[in-house]
Amino acid sequence: MTALDTIPSADLVHDIPATQRRDMRVPARVFADDELWKQIAHDRSLEQLMNVATLPGVTRCVYAMPDVHEGYGFPVGGVAAMRASDGVISPGGVGYDINCGVRLLISDLEEDAVRRRLPALVHELSRSIPSGTGRGTRVSLNDAELDRVLGEGCRYLVQRGQATPEDLETIEAGGSLMRADPGVVSPRAKARGRDQLGTLGSGNHFIEVQTIETVIEPTIAHVYGVEAGRVAVLVHTGSRGLGHQVCTDYVRLMDRIMPTSGITLPDRELACAPFASPEGQRYFGAMCAAANFAFANRQTISQRVRDVFQRFFGDAGRLRLVYDVAHNMAKLEEHDGELLCVHRKGATRAFGPGHPETPERYRAAGQPVFIPGSMGTRSYILAGTDAALGLSFGSTCHGAGRAMSRHAAKRATSGHAVRQALEAQGIAVACPSSGELAEEAPLAYKDVERVVDVVHRAGLARRVARLRPIGVIKG
Amino acid sequence: MRVRIRAPSFGELAAEAGRALARIQLGGVATPPAGAWRRIEVRASDREALLVDWLNELIFLAETECWVPAEFQVVNTDTTLRVLARGVSVKEAPARVKAATFSGLEIRPIPGGLEAEVVFDV
Repeated sequence: MTALDTIPSADLVHDIPATQRRDMRVPARVFADDELWKQIAHDRSLEQLMNVATLPGVTRCVYAMPDVHEGYGFPVGGVAAMRASDGVISPGGVGYDINCGVRLLISDLEEDAVRRRLPALVHELSRSIPSGTGRGTRVSLNDAELDRVLGEGCRYLVQRGQATPEDLETIEAGGSLMRADPGVVSPRAKARGRDQLGTLGSGNHFIEVQTIETVIEPTIAHVYGVEAGRVAVLVHTGSRGLGHQVCTDYVRLMDRIMPTSGITLPDRELACAPFASPEGQRYFGAMCAAANFAFANRQTISQRVRDVFQRFFGDAGRLRLVYDVAHNMAKLEEHDGELLCVHRKGATRAFGPGHPETPERYRAAGQPVFIPGSMGTRSYILAGTDAALGLSFGSTCHGAGRAMSRHAAKRATSGHAVRQALEAQGIAVACPSSGELAEEAPLAYKDVERVVDVVHRAGLARRVARLRPIGVIKG
Repeated sequence: MRVRIRAPSFGELAAEAGRALARIQLGGVATPPAGAWRRIEVRASDREALLVDWLNELIFLAETECWVPAEFQVVNTDTTLRVLARGVSVKEAPARVKAATFSGLEIRPIPGGLEAEVVFDV
C-alpha cells in the first residue's frame, strides 16, 4: 500500500503524483474541499509543496493542510517527514518563528461577569504584556538564566515560580525538549532574545479573550474541562527574535555547506543538511532550544494574564491551562517502526487517544488542538485522532490560513474600519498599529469554518468546541 | 513582504535595499539619519547571499541596538560589502521585519543596472 492508498474521502483530497516532476521523490497530497482548492491554486503553495517532495530522505508523501498558503521555501501548512537515518533536516521546514504555537487557558467565569469589565480588562492585558516591538521591558535574563530557559524551557520556570508542575502536564513535551543545546545557539540569537521573554511580538500574534460558545463533543469537552459559557484565553506567539535568528543562522550555514553534501534544491530557502550530520544535529539542538524559549515565552505571558485575571476577578478568575501545542516544529517520531524527522510548518501535531505522547489526563479523548480563527471569527478546539497518524503523520491544520497578502489586505480595508467592525460585534480591541490591524483583517484569511470542516471530515482531527472572541489584544 | 529594488550597481542595490528596509522599520516616518558614521562589513560567496546577509545584519542592529541604519556609503567587491552607515536611534526596537529570506530571490540584469526582489519575513 502506498501513502496515497489511504483516502479519507475523495472530495477532500487532491493528489499530485510523484511523476508530476522528475525531481519529486514522493507524491503530494492536499486536504481541501473544492472552494479551498481554488484558493490554494492562487499562490505558489503547490509549487512549494512539490519542491519539498524533492528533499533527500523524504518518505511516503508530503501533505498540505486545508489552510496552506505560500511561505518561504516550505508552504505554511505543510508536513513532510524525512528518515532520521539518511534524510535531511531543513530549517525552512520549521519556519523562522520556531515553535510558534497556541495555548488555551480556561476559567470558571461566565461571559456576563467578564463583559461588565471587558474594556478595562483588555486595556490592562495590553498594558501588562509587551507586544508589538522588539524589546520587552519586563523580564531581562542574564547569560546563565537565558541558557537555562533554552535548555530546560518551562521546567526552569517552575523553579522560578512562573509555572506549576500541573502546567507542565498540559504542555507539548512538558514544555521542555530534552535535545535542546544552548551551546549551539549563536550569541546573536541570544542577544535578540535576552529581553524578549514574556513578549507577544507583532504580525499575527495575539491574545484573545473568548467565550466557549458551543460544545460539539460533550464527552471530549468534559475530559478537557471545557464547558459552554465559560470564558477562556487563547495565546498565540512563538520564539520571537531569538527563533528568527536561529533560523537565519542555520539557513546560511546549510546553504554554505550544501555543495559539499552534493544536495541540489529547487529553492535556496529549503537549505538543509543530513539529519545525522554534525550540522544537522547542531540545528536540531538549536531548534529545540528556541522551542523551549517559545514554550517559556507563552508560559510567562500566561502568568501575566493570570495575574491580571486575579486582580480583576479574584479566585473566580483562576485560569487553568488546557494545553499548549506547537505548529512550527521538527520532531523525531516513530511511525510504523521507522524513526522520522517530521517537519510541521504551520501545521499542528494532533495525536489520538492511543498515542503515548498524548498526556495521561487526555488519553480518553486525544491530544487537544486549538485552531484560531481570524479576528472576530470563531476559533475551535479539536481533538487529535489515531487515524491521523496514517493520514498525515498525526498532523492537522493550524488556523484559517491567509487568503490575501498583507499589502492586499491594507488596500482592501483600513485599521479603523476593522476596529469599528469588531466593536460592532461587541469585541474589545487593543492594537498599537492601525496598519497591522488592517493586515490581519478577517477578509485576509480563509474561512476557518470551512478549514475545520475539512480536517474533521477527513479524519485529521475532531471538532470539540467552538469559541467566540470578546476581546482581542494584537501584537 | 516583497520589495522590488532597482539600482545601477550591486553596491547601490544593497544601499537601496537598506533604505527600503529602514523605511519599513521606521513606519514610513521620514527621520533624517544623524550621528557618526559606523562601519559595517559582510562577506558571502555570491551576490544573493551577500544581499541577504547584509539585510539581516541591519535587522539585527535595529533589534538589538535600537538603531536603524538609513544612509549608506558602499564599497563592494564580489564577495564583500564594506559600508559606512548613519542611522536613526529609536526608543523601541522595531520588530516589524524579522528576517530577510532567499525566497524567490534573484538578482537580474536590467537595462542600466540590476533588479532584485527581496522577501522579508514579517
